[in-house]
Amino acid sequence: MTGARRAQGDKLTEAEAIERAKQGDSEAFKVLYDLHKRRVYSLCLRMTGNTASAEDLTQEAFLQLFRKISTFRGESAFSTWLHRMSVNVVLMQLRKKGLPIVPLDEATEGEEEGQVKKEPGAPDERLAGSIDRLHLQRAVDELPPGYRTIFVLHDVEGYEHNEIADLVGCSIGNSKSQLHKARIKLRELLRMNRAEKAGKR
Amino acid sequence: MNCGEFERVLPEFLEGEHTREQQAHFDSCSACANLRADLDFISSQAKLLVASEEPRPAVWDALEARLRDEGLIRLPEFVTPKVSIFSRWRTAWLVPVAAALVIAAGIKLYHPAGAGDPAPISKQHGSNPTVAAVAPVSHEDQVLLNTVATRVPAQRARYRADLESANSFIQDAEQSIKDDPNDIYTQQMLINAYAQKQMLYDLAVDRSEQ
Repeated sequence: MTGARRAQGDKLTEAEAIERAKQGDSEAFKVLYDLHKRRVYSLCLRMTGNTASAEDLTQEAFLQLFRKISTFRGESAFSTWLHRMSVNVVLMQLRKKGLPIVPLDEATEGEEEGQVKKEPGAPDERLAGSIDRLHLQRAVDELPPGYRTIFVLHDVEGYEHNEIADLVGCSIGNSKSQLHKARIKLRELLRMNRAEKAGKR
Repeated sequence: MNCGEFERVLPEFLEGEHTREQQAHFDSCSACANLRADLDFISSQAKLLVASEEPRPAVWDALEARLRDEGLIRLPEFVTPKVSIFSRWRTAWLVPVAAALVIAAGIKLYHPAGAGDPAPISKQHGSNPTVAAVAPVSHEDQVLLNTVATRVPAQRARYRADLESANSFIQDAEQSIKDDPNDIYTQQMLINAYAQKQMLYDLAVDRSEQ
């Protein structure tokens, strides 16, 4: 998002809203909130899988943002700054709750080994075409927290492995490995959902 | 190589790092081809989840309350107004006028009685065209002017000029609110204008009681 983006029709641009918010302008806060609330809330919801927690964390992320907005100098995009702050808020909360940010290899290693079943000549078994966004959303919510964190940060939010490693405090190799396992787990969940749906027909 | 082994090396395989054996397995195994297609599909669909949900309005309400509690949201009078260039020009004069009223009132309060103010009324009005355009004073204003009637002429004139300035200030703010009833900034300016007028009354009464 650029600073020139128009916020709320013909009202404030993001850049104008940032400057006004630095002065404590209530409406400017609302403009910034409206511009970014969906992305921040979706991030919180995807990472926690819980609407009540997501709402609390959204509030917390914006509160931190507005507390620190006077320090924003525009070196990076505002959205980048905000989303990084939001990710940190969520990760801090997950740590407080004792939820694993990165899944323990010991607990999962071997689980997926040999998981791929031979499906000779079954191109119709692919997920494409049978899975929509809602199915995927539900499956992401069902992922174990550690997998979910890495998957959301990489595949949904678009962070690179080096950034994820920095954010969650793991190695780049670990981030890559966990992402792969998260995708495999998601595939499994999606296929199970599809099979359940087919069984009901 | 079997499918389990291939699955473990799939991340590297997708990055182009693979052996001939791995490539051969992939080329001949429909299950592994399906796996790769599915993982690609999941990854591409995941991007659709960004900004897919909206928080309830209650989240903003709670956030706004906390911002107010922490003093991060300030009163509109301390905030640069969000108005168009035209309306900004229309109301911008209110700020210096308000400041002038405060200064004038302060001078009035501490100025020794009897020390003449050489500026004639007509000259004062001439220096502020907005004041000259103000309608005759109301009954309440006349009460104030009667209160200061025994003062020296220059002070009486100053009270009258300040009163007219406050009235003009109020008149303009009220007009702005008629144009845009939701303009919080102008609402605050109107409140300020009445406060200035109140202060003028208080000063007049205080001085009279001394």
